[in-house]
Amino acid sequence: MLRASSSANDLDLDLSLVRGEANESEAVQHAPALANLVDSSVNDLEALSTARAALVELTDKETMVDACAVVANFEMMTRIADGTGTRHPPERLDAIGDMSQSLGLDQFTSARI
Amino acid sequence: MSQTPTSIIQSCHESSGLEIRPDLTAAHAHVWEKLAAPGTWWNGVERLAIAEVVRTALDDKEPPPPWVSASSSGRVAHNPALSSQLQDAVYRLTRHAGTLTEDWYLSMRDATAITHQQWVEVIDVVISVASVLRFAQLAGIDRPEFPTALDGEPLRQEQPSKPANHHWVPVVHLEDMTTELEPFYDGLPVIAPVIRALSSVPAAMDTLSVLSGAQYIPNREMVDLNWTRGTLSRRQMEFVAGRLSAHRECFY
Repeated sequence: MLRASSSANDLDLDLSLVRGEANESEAVQHAPALANLVDSSVNDLEALSTARAALVELTDKETMVDACAVVANFEMMTRIADGTGTRHPPERLDAIGDMSQSLGLDQFTSARI
Repeated sequence: MSQTPTSIIQSCHESSGLEIRPDLTAAHAHVWEKLAAPGTWWNGVERLAIAEVVRTALDDKEPPPPWVSASSSGRVAHNPALSSQLQDAVYRLTRHAGTLTEDWYLSMRDATAITHQQWVEVIDVVISVASVLRFAQLAGIDRPEFPTALDGEPLRQEQPSKPANHHWVPVVHLEDMTTELEPFYDGLPVIAPVIRALSSVPAAMDTLSVLSGAQYIPNREMVDLNWTRGTLSRRQMEFVAGRLSAHRECFY
């Protein structure tokens, strides 16, 4: 969806942003601060308040709250997909094949392909 | 007098000092109202017992590896409402969802003797608790306590679910839509597999629909690649979604 929403706006996107170092990006404004919020929520809870404050500094409290809500949503979606063994239809797998290989997603245990 | 499920959520959101959207508060209140009430296949005490395992798993600072039983290693307190095998399954779904395989699913069903539909309802409870508690943790607000379990029997409402090509669990196909699934299926030309995954239990579809509409994007707005609430852009939302999913090693 990130690739689709970027190309819909003629914006180039380096998808390694999703797994690697999140640098400033024309396609995703404040990517480093957003990545820091997500990463701290998974790997370093003690850094979470600093990550929140940094995002508020760049945006506002409402945006920070909405970013937290999106994380919460994908704590839900990942468990639905992996708890029910959901897999992509073949045509979708074909469409994302290059991306899943280049990002190493096809190496996940959850890659039901 | 004890708090209602809705007032538990409202007091945590209102005391936060943040402007939390009313629809987000309402969505979390909605799933809290259902959390410890009789469901479709589990009663309120059983649903609350599942929720307690989820909370324990989320809080575990040093979770055992996926192949180690959480109950036999003392991570989860014995609860007569749930078998230890089901506690282990709930713990693993909560903490190590990306490691689940179809073989694991088949073995888990053999060990617990639960039906596909009961498992879908387990997922319903897991996603409710994971959403509400993780949001509170991320936003730095007070964590809502669980509501008190309500008496009553589960609804035991069957749906015309059938084996599926894209899931371990049976699903209700679009052409078999029932009245209960109309709010989630009607008017949509196709239903994404991850949405259809919970369709054998409409109450779980309701949880998904209400939470994703408030936490992410309402289902009917998904086609608008520039949809925004005025805070995060669509691309920022997808970036956060993708990065979290990668951390969770979720291929889908």
